[in-house]
Amino acid sequence: MSDENFRRELNQVFDDVAGSPSSNLRDRVQSAVSAAPEARGPYWIAAVAAAVIAVLLVGVLVMGGPLKRPTSPARPAATQSTPSPFVSQGPAATPTPVYTCAAQDFNTIAPGEPTPPVAFVSALRTGTHGSYDRITIEFGNGVPHDVQISAPSAGTTFTLSPSGQQATLKGDHGILITIHGSDLHTSYTGSTDIITGDPTIAEVRRVQDFEGVVQLGLGVNGNGCYDAFWMTGPERLVIDVVQSA
Amino acid sequence: MSAALMDQRLPAVDADSFSRLIEPILDPAYRLAAVMLNDRGAAEDAVQEASVKAWRKIGQLRGDAASLRPWFLAIVANECRMSRRTRWWSVLKFGELSSGQEVRESQTDLHRALLRMSPEERLPLILHFYLDLPLEEVARTLRVSPSAARSRIYRAAKRLRGDLTVEDVIR
Repeated sequence: MSDENFRRELNQVFDDVAGSPSSNLRDRVQSAVSAAPEARGPYWIAAVAAAVIAVLLVGVLVMGGPLKRPTSPARPAATQSTPSPFVSQGPAATPTPVYTCAAQDFNTIAPGEPTPPVAFVSALRTGTHGSYDRITIEFGNGVPHDVQISAPSAGTTFTLSPSGQQATLKGDHGILITIHGSDLHTSYTGSTDIITGDPTIAEVRRVQDFEGVVQLGLGVNGNGCYDAFWMTGPERLVIDVVQSA
Repeated sequence: MSAALMDQRLPAVDADSFSRLIEPILDPAYRLAAVMLNDRGAAEDAVQEASVKAWRKIGQLRGDAASLRPWFLAIVANECRMSRRTRWWSVLKFGELSSGQEVRESQTDLHRALLRMSPEERLPLILHFYLDLPLEEVARTLRVSPSAARSRIYRAAKRLRGDLTVEDVIR
């Protein structure tokens, strides 16, 4: 195994283990931070009291057996997450719009506030949701000027820019997402080639991150019928690709 | 890092500003925690708890804005250590075996070898290879010198593949 292959395989293993965080993690964190008091004064007495209560509580729970609860599988991503006291009731809770397949190229001007010169992609997440798979592209500092999403086409070979090399993704149809006024290297530190293991969106790969244009290639199984829309809090572009019958 | 820089502190921030400040780091923080704990749900809990602790300690952060990421990741790593210590009673819980991290036939030798390592041994590999942090930042996250960080990365990588040289690992 070459050194480069070692790095690639190791990062693939990391991706397999970690997956992607739930879409509500940011909301959870924001709510928890807002609810937490700042450090002030000597609060060790409260900490000791809390520790004593915790020890007593754990003791009771262990003796009583409730800790032998059945465990749940890994928390599902995105909108299927379990309710949490920290989930905000903001725009993130907006239900997914009625599903409409985009039969042609999808062009969108990002809604809302004036856009920054360069909108930094801060996270890429994928997940499967029963009848469709979802990719979420999150922006850390505002939304980009505009986004184009190609109509799905047969084949999954993309030309990487600026190298000009060809890359063939998993799946049988390809969708190209072009984001103008954006970059994938300032805030984003995750994988740029995500093999999802999901039934429909099989692979997401960076095709270009150059001169303020980000292109992502999707390798999908099935005909690639998709719907795309914006969500806020945080700002993100969501693309749902429906599973073929 | 110069003494002058060490003495710098981030300007006072409120809770909302702090949340915005750490927002770009939540994804790498989650990835760090998920690989350290090998449990995605626990990783999110650890990141949330670490965020609250970081907010309470923000006044202690020294250095410029670039210090925030290693400082926060160090808190997350520490929270993962705490999480493992405090959930001793759930070490064998079924969720870890039956979820996405289950031991599958398709897992590679590298995958299995990585999961056999202790979380503490995995940490330098996560920081260097997965999060692609510069050596200086890895060192600050581990709270060791750059040369010690370099040794830890190399030792851990060599456990996964014996024929690696330092030059192969640290470029």
